Order: sequence, then structure tokens, then C-alpha cells
Amino acid sequence: MARLHTQPICVASALLVPMVSLAQPPWLTLSGVAPSWAVLWLLPWALVDGPVSGTIAGAALGLVLDGLGGDGLTLLPSLTLLGWWFGRLGRRGRPIQRSLSLGLLAWIGAMVVGVSLWLQLRLVQGLDASVLQHWAWHLCLTQALITGLLAPMIVSWQLLEWRRRSPA
Amino acid sequence: MGSSQWPAGSRWRGARSLWPWLGLLAFLALVRWSKGAGFVDAYAVLSRPFWPGSAQKEWLQSAATLESKAQLQLLQHDNKRLRQLLELKQRSNQDQVPAAVISRNAAAWWQQLELGQGSAAGLASGDAVIGPGGLIGRIQSVTPSTARVKLLTAPGSQIGVWVPRTRQHALLVGVGTARPQLRFIDKDVKARPGDLVSTSPASTLLPPNVPVAVIQTLDSRAVPAPEGFVQLIAAPEAVDWVQVQIR
Repeated sequence: MARLHTQPICVASALLVPMVSLAQPPWLTLSGVAPSWAVLWLLPWALVDGPVSGTIAGAALGLVLDGLGGDGLTLLPSLTLLGWWFGRLGRRGRPIQRSLSLGLLAWIGAMVVGVSLWLQLRLVQGLDASVLQHWAWHLCLTQALITGLLAPMIVSWQLLEWRRRSPA
Repeated sequence: MGSSQWPAGSRWRGARSLWPWLGLLAFLALVRWSKGAGFVDAYAVLSRPFWPGSAQKEWLQSAATLESKAQLQLLQHDNKRLRQLLELKQRSNQDQVPAAVISRNAAAWWQQLELGQGSAAGLASGDAVIGPGGLIGRIQSVTPSTARVKLLTAPGSQIGVWVPRTRQHALLVGVGTARPQLRFIDKDVKARPGDLVSTSPASTLLPPNVPVAVIQTLDSRAVPAPEGFVQLIAAPEAVDWVQVQIR
């Protein structure tokens, strides 16, 4: 009955997120846009391990990814919020495991991340050229689409593996 | 009436049998007049297998490359001497560090490259990064063994450039897409699509006279000053090795 965050191998799997984000395999991109690996890892983690662990994991991932990319934009608030929300969903009602639900959740997660970054570009950095807006929306929607498409495969497998290690 | 040795009309028969040859002669006269047309073409078709092969073509090309390299070197020497006279900033190839691109994030919220060389190799924040063909960005931060490049296409990236043909300054602003925006400073712009954009010859932050981009579209009625879009010469999404101009 060990929780996920007490199993070193599960915690260590989070290291894959920055590594894959850096490697950015080009065969897993949609018109050059890579999926949001942070959402793909955070979704099953929070569903299995609950809101508190999800919030902390989201914040941790946000800090690391901001260090890797950053440049004035931050993923911290959106990932923290997503970790908490996914955790709550996992604790309420029947366990979520259908491919369609996972894909939809991942899509929403990636949209939240994208919209938060777009708002930061718009409000904090004050960049509002129309070309830039088009680009930002294209990026946001494309990233959400590829994340949602990959989620049924990747997240289902992670859920299976982690539910086996940490039966609720 | 003695019969002649030559029957009557034989002269004409002989002339008639001569006609085809006369026709041939007329044809050859045409050939002569057309400077050998047909023959040369036939020769070209027949001799095609024996034409000088690709090897000779490569010799010629390498000779041409060598010639242009030598010419470039001479011009560089000349340029260096003239810049010394003008006391402008120097630029030489000795202080360029080659670096491999180890991570590429050209289509993402932050557009950057990670290089496999860092402060240990002399790289520092602010150094210009030159891909094959031209400038692609500036170094944003360094660790001992890696460096992060902010691409010219990244939203918020701004560098000063100029159009050498019309000698006008402009600002190159990244807007996320593969084509950065060019904002001119003065209103009367004589630049045209197709003009080269380079770093300013008097630049101190960036190496001078590095080609950057080619103007693609230009809106001369934009307010407050004309603006347009450029195509970068070095495509950041396809670069594997870059040169870092260390200062």
C-alpha cells in the first residue's frame, strides 16, 4: 500500500520529463510542435497519488522546466493548478481510466498551460503584434492536440503501472 | 546515217541520273551555310558517352571555389586594413568557437537552442551565434559545458540591423514564427523585398557585417514607420553546428 511518492523509482521517473523535453524527439511532433511532456507525466501521477502530491509534483516540474526554458515565461502556476485539479479528480468518484477521458484531460491540461503562457506573453511582456497572436494560438492548439492524442497511449500505460504499485 | 556511239538523248539521261547528287550537293551547301548544323548535333549524340565526366566538372568547380576563397581572403585582408584605419571593431575568424546543437526547441513557447560548449570554452552571455549563412541568435545563458541560445525568431528578441544597400537602420523583432519582423526607424525607406539585411558595420554588441536575412515583404504605409518580414538566411530549425563569436 506504499504511496507513489515513497517509491524512489516512481519519483525518479519525473526526471524523464526534462530529459525528453530537451531531447524533443522530432518523430513525436505535430508540424514541429512537441507535446507537453509535463502534462503527460503529471496527469497519471496526480490521478494516482492525490491532490497534495499532485500540487507538489506540478510545482517541482514547473520549477525545473522554467529553469530549462524560462525566458520570462513561467509554467509554475499552471502546472501547480493542474496537479491539484487532476489530484481531486482522481480522489472523487470512480477511477478515471478510459482512453477518451484521459485524452480529454490531457487536452484540457495542455490548453491551460498554453493559455497561461499566452496570457503572460500578452499581459506581462506586453507583446501584442497580430502575427504573434496567431503564432501563439497555433502553438497552443497544436500542442494541446498532440498532447491529447498521445495521452491515451502514454498515460494509460503509466496509470496501469502506478496503480499496480500503489493500489488505492 | 551512222549510229553514234552515244544514243540520242543519252546526255539528258546522264544528267537525270545526276540529279540526286546535285540535290545532295544543294543540301550540303545548306549545311555549309548553316555552319554544320545536324552534323554537330549528330556528333554530340554519338560522342555523349565520351564527354568529360563529372570528375572534370568537379575540378572546374573546385578551382572556382578556390578562386573565390582566395579572393575572399584578399578582400578580408583589405577590409581589416581599412577597418584599422577607421578604428572600427575587429572581427576575425580566430575567435569563433564551433559548437554542436544538442537540443533544439524552434517551435515552442521559448525558442532556443542548447549548445554543447559553455563557459569553459570561452562562451559568455551575449555572444553572437552564427549558423551556416548568417546570424541565428545570441547566447542567453551559459553553464560550464552548455550554452543556451535565444533565437532571433523568439518572441521578444530584438537586435539592431541595417540594410547595406540603402544604408538604413532597422530593428529585427522576433514574433515566434520562422520570419521575424523588420521595423524601420526612419519613415523614408528605400529598401525593397530581396534586399539583404545584415548587422550594422559599426555594431559593438554584435559582430559587424554578418548577413542575417533577406527582406521578404515590406509594408511602406505602416504607422509609425515602415515594417516588413524577413527570411533568415540560416534556418534555425535545421542547424546542427554553429559558430559562436566570442568577445
